[in-house]
Amino acid sequence: MSEVDMAVIKPEMMKSYIWLQTADGSIQQVEQEVAMFCPMICHEVIQKGMGSSKNYAISLPQRVNPAMLSLILDYCRFHQVPGRSNKERKSFDEKFIRMDTKRLCELTSAADSLQLKPLVDLTSRALARIIEGKSPEEIREIFHLPDDLTEEEKLEPLKNTTDDPRIRLLNRLYAKKRKELKERQKLKNIEVEEERVDDRSVDDLLSFINGDNGDSKGIKNSKSKKKNRRRKDQQKTTSANEAIKNHNKEPNGLNQVCHSAEVGQKVRAGVGATSNLHDVEDNIFDNKNELDDGDIDDEIDPALKEKIDREVEDFARRLNSDWPERMQEILSFGHERKPVHFSLNGNGSLRRYANSEQR
Amino acid sequence: MHKKMAFSFPDEVLEHVFSFIQSDKDRNAVSMVCKSWYEIERWCRRKVFVGNCYAVSPRMVIRRFPEFRSIELKGKPHFADFNLVPDGWGGYVFPWIAEMAGAYPWLEEIRLKRMVVTDESLELIAKSFKNFKVLVLSSCEGFSTDGLAAIAASCKNLKELDLRDCEVDDLSAHWLSHFPETYTSLVSLNISCLGSDEASFSALERLVHRCTNLKTLRLNRAVPLDKIANILRHAPQLVEFGTGTYTADVRPDVYSDLAGVLSSCKELKSLSGFWDVIPDYLPAIYPVCSKLTSLNLSYATIQSPDLIKLVSHCPNLQRLLVLDYIEDSGLEVLASSCKDLQELRVFPSDPFGAEPNVSLTEQGLVAVSLGCPKLQSVLYFCRRMSNEALVTIARSRPNFTRFRLCIIEPKTADYLTLEPLDVGFGAIVQYCKDLRRLSLSGLLTDRVFEYIGTYAKKLEMLSVAFAGDSDLGLHHVLSGCESLRKLEIRDCPFGDKALLANAAKLETMRSLWMSSCAVSFAACKLLGQKMPRLNVEVIDERGPPDSRPENCPVDKLYIYRSIAGPRFDMPPFVWTMDEDSGLRLS
Repeated sequence: MSEVDMAVIKPEMMKSYIWLQTADGSIQQVEQEVAMFCPMICHEVIQKGMGSSKNYAISLPQRVNPAMLSLILDYCRFHQVPGRSNKERKSFDEKFIRMDTKRLCELTSAADSLQLKPLVDLTSRALARIIEGKSPEEIREIFHLPDDLTEEEKLEPLKNTTDDPRIRLLNRLYAKKRKELKERQKLKNIEVEEERVDDRSVDDLLSFINGDNGDSKGIKNSKSKKKNRRRKDQQKTTSANEAIKNHNKEPNGLNQVCHSAEVGQKVRAGVGATSNLHDVEDNIFDNKNELDDGDIDDEIDPALKEKIDREVEDFARRLNSDWPERMQEILSFGHERKPVHFSLNGNGSLRRYANSEQR
Repeated sequence: MHKKMAFSFPDEVLEHVFSFIQSDKDRNAVSMVCKSWYEIERWCRRKVFVGNCYAVSPRMVIRRFPEFRSIELKGKPHFADFNLVPDGWGGYVFPWIAEMAGAYPWLEEIRLKRMVVTDESLELIAKSFKNFKVLVLSSCEGFSTDGLAAIAASCKNLKELDLRDCEVDDLSAHWLSHFPETYTSLVSLNISCLGSDEASFSALERLVHRCTNLKTLRLNRAVPLDKIANILRHAPQLVEFGTGTYTADVRPDVYSDLAGVLSSCKELKSLSGFWDVIPDYLPAIYPVCSKLTSLNLSYATIQSPDLIKLVSHCPNLQRLLVLDYIEDSGLEVLASSCKDLQELRVFPSDPFGAEPNVSLTEQGLVAVSLGCPKLQSVLYFCRRMSNEALVTIARSRPNFTRFRLCIIEPKTADYLTLEPLDVGFGAIVQYCKDLRRLSLSGLLTDRVFEYIGTYAKKLEMLSVAFAGDSDLGLHHVLSGCESLRKLEIRDCPFGDKALLANAAKLETMRSLWMSSCAVSFAACKLLGQKMPRLNVEVIDERGPPDSRPENCPVDKLYIYRSIAGPRFDMPPFVWTMDEDSGLRLS
């Protein structure tokens, strides 16, 4: 309310009341100085002469129900007092804003319809804080919003979407493929077990992971995998020490470089490093020939081990269901293995040829 | 379960709520809530961040966000900092500037990292955006002082010009005089990367004098010590200051001048520069040390005793960048003096030396971790490490968000036990639950990747070199690290299997870099064919990959998700694998 407005109001009115009517029909009277804190009410009083009696009660916008009006008036009653310090006002605001989200939304909307900007800012900021840090699903839940973006519009991992129709088609295929993958992962273990028995390429992969002879059932052999790795560790340590001695002259490459101007020279990847790589490659393939000496106790804790077991299981299952024959070919590079033949059904699911054909 | 009605808001109210939501992550979440929020959000997004300039085309961005005022783009992968990305790979900003010049005359801010910026681009910026305010170029290259002159001459509302670690062709120091005499709006100027040619001091002085809102001024090495006093005299309101060369003949008048003018800068919180420091002039900054929150001494070749003295004057220090001359003893003093320390970077003074030249070991890092309760970000170069130290660090400082440890010699084992450092790094990821960035070094087997995959659920960026034994290592990371966005690997024995099995994961990440690993060309082709929303780039300076057998490993591989499709600005040594031919030449 500006100075000008104050001058216009006759002194008799200073202690009087303003009549307000909410959309549900109920009418109430409110101290003038409190009500006039709202620009919308102020406008009605001054420009249209409304609110001076019950019959001429100001009709408030629909978004202001009695409960919200009560809250807004509380806000106005406090803030319209001129003598308060900033600290006091801030403290009041912080307490005032503590309410459930639904009421907060209603209040924001009501304050906006009454053009009460400070309260709109306060409630908007509070809503922003509620939204921050949450996922879209969580936000939807809180505000009861529909999940109406299409799969392609969601493109969840990507920051930007596009309306290119070609991309939309690809995305639809992707969404479909993702759903299929999820469904397949719910299949019983038994089915996977059976397939594994017949599927030699996946077996190869599992044996590579587990580091034994390839007749694994996959899951329970993480122990042997650990044992082999330890043996390899010892091999590697000694070879690493040698590598350090040999490659001392040539900078083998830092994994970070100082940003200092003095150390301006950047580092070239050491040539020596490549030879180590091939050694390791051979180790991977040699694993299969090492015999399983029996259980060796690792220092790995059981929860982690279980998790790793599940990892291997998942790995195998995903491999089995995901990729058609090309993948199998790639995996069997350098080894004489017969690729397993898969074919895609009309509905996109994989179908394996009957066992007899493979043997 | 009863269905509640969605609470209806007028659009303007929602827009007002969104105006208080600024982070990109939150804005992206908001835009994916529902159709109406998507629409409202896109019209009121004012800042756009594109983490990989090839992930999306400028036209797409402009179409979706019609009213943005500020854009941030990143180009080359991080390993470009270590010369692993050959020159000419890409990251050109010109197409972006050209598109925006046409569509966005009201663009105000451009921030670029690791991009190629030409003088033409700078001239176009100067010409096209009348209200241009902020230009931040971080680790960029391709431009000269002529481009800067264009910006200076035309951008009347420029507030910020920040050239961090850029490679600039220094044609003429007089570009500074292109700022018109009527220009006074400068708030931040960082020219620390400019060359050592004689700078135009009088133009600089006049600029500083008339820009009374200047808060940040970082000079380049060419500005001599005795000129600093004249410059600072006009700018007592500075909050951040970077000196030029910090050496001169020791003269009492120069010293007292400097000390006097520095102590009149009551707002100073951050100091940097300090090239060629001579200890005699250091005490001149003691008067401002008590207020300092940030100190960058990464060019200062002063020894431990002087560093210790300096650091003990700075109790409010939050960020320290320093050379390893500080040694373990200096870090112990830091730990006891600077309880507010949040970020520490210790750089190697002599990384290529065979023997250590300073007494900086894992003990320094342990001391700081134990002593500084707010420490959350560390970049530490050293020559030895132990699992024991790492476990101690992890247990005492679980609030690490960034942990980058660089043991200088690759594959260095635990110096006490000669074992790999798997357990040590495992402790780091296990205890530091909010870890977002991790760099590994030392002798490491697949086991460290198991730990990482199991525990590092909030990890967003991982840097790996000379580590691991097999594909299982990579598999653990790709399958376990749910928040992973950037993975960069060099010289590790990771091949096709883990990559192909986790192909879908790659689409949830910004990028994957693998160089000197064991990924075959065939796998790259397969990946490119199967994943249309990934750009699979094979970078190989030995010649076309199909001139070698398919199972031959590629030299460098850069995979990133993109909805813009393969790019067309590739140099001859980069090939994108895609669906059509399996091999696309530039």
